[in-house]
Amino acid sequence: SFLQGSKLEIPLWLAKGLHDSKRRIISVELPKIYKEAWRTVFSADANVVDLHKMGPYYYGFGSQLLNFENPENPEIAQTILQTFIARFRRIMDSSQNAYNEDTSALVARLDELERALFQVGQKGLNDFQCWEKGQASQITASSLVQNYGKRKLAEVDG
Amino acid sequence: GDLGPFNPGLPVEVPVWLAINLKQRQKCRLIPPEWMDVGKLEEIRDQERREDTFTPMPSPYYMELTKLLLNYASDNIPRADEIRTLVKDTWDTRMAKLRLSADSFVRQQEAHAKLDNLTLMEINTTGTFLTQALDHMYKLRTNLQPGESSHSQDF
Repeated sequence: SFLQGSKLEIPLWLAKGLHDSKRRIISVELPKIYKEAWRTVFSADANVVDLHKMGPYYYGFGSQLLNFENPENPEIAQTILQTFIARFRRIMDSSQNAYNEDTSALVARLDELERALFQVGQKGLNDFQCWEKGQASQITASSLVQNYGKRKLAEVDG
Repeated sequence: GDLGPFNPGLPVEVPVWLAINLKQRQKCRLIPPEWMDVGKLEEIRDQERREDTFTPMPSPYYMELTKLLLNYASDNIPRADEIRTLVKDTWDTRMAKLRLSADSFVRQQEAHAKLDNLTLMEINTTGTFLTQALDHMYKLRTNLQPGESSHSQDF
């Protein structure tokens, strides 16, 4: 049982379950990255922030936070959107540009949503380069068939 | 369809796949398309660098044709190395322009874009990335409207 007024860390799904705007069982305190001080940093230059360290689900979690009525919600929602927009260019350029050097420093600072996007960009580039080298027309055995052979051998030995 | 007649010494138009096949079997010499020429490609490259919009390319398959012909018939193409470089330079300029357009589109949160004169090769290289990014942006934009129904679980 809990004392009224006590402060706890609980998972998001539990907070959502307990939250009821009419009965006011709980109120949610914003993680600092969504508060005004950090929002100012984001609007100055969103590209310098290490969203992986601060997140790693900055966009997803931030969007979920908006479920709890908080007077700052409009500002939070706007900051999250603007952050995505500001960081978009670098993610696109480094994932799609063949002449880029080491991208690992950038990727380390991306949140999970951005990393997935980066991978998609990389795949587009890799597919193009593969075509360029002429590898797209080589027939290779499907991995399913290759693994089937390996498994059969294991059965015989075991 | 029908092809021919094949008369020795007389040029005849055939599908690319047949041309490549015959060339590989050393049964013919290939004549490059009229645009696969240093002067023409320099013009195109320069126009691409100058303009904000995309230059209409002489073929919607300029990348594919360049690759095929330079791979299998470079001996039939005058100044093949320069041609290769010119086409690659033009491609790079077009892709950079595409990324610039995409960034501008995202920053202004536009709902529609129209990009003329892109080829499939360019669209495919960037397309998946762009559609996913715009999807995310759309979801983040719906956050701006108050109301529980807009905050979905799936990210």
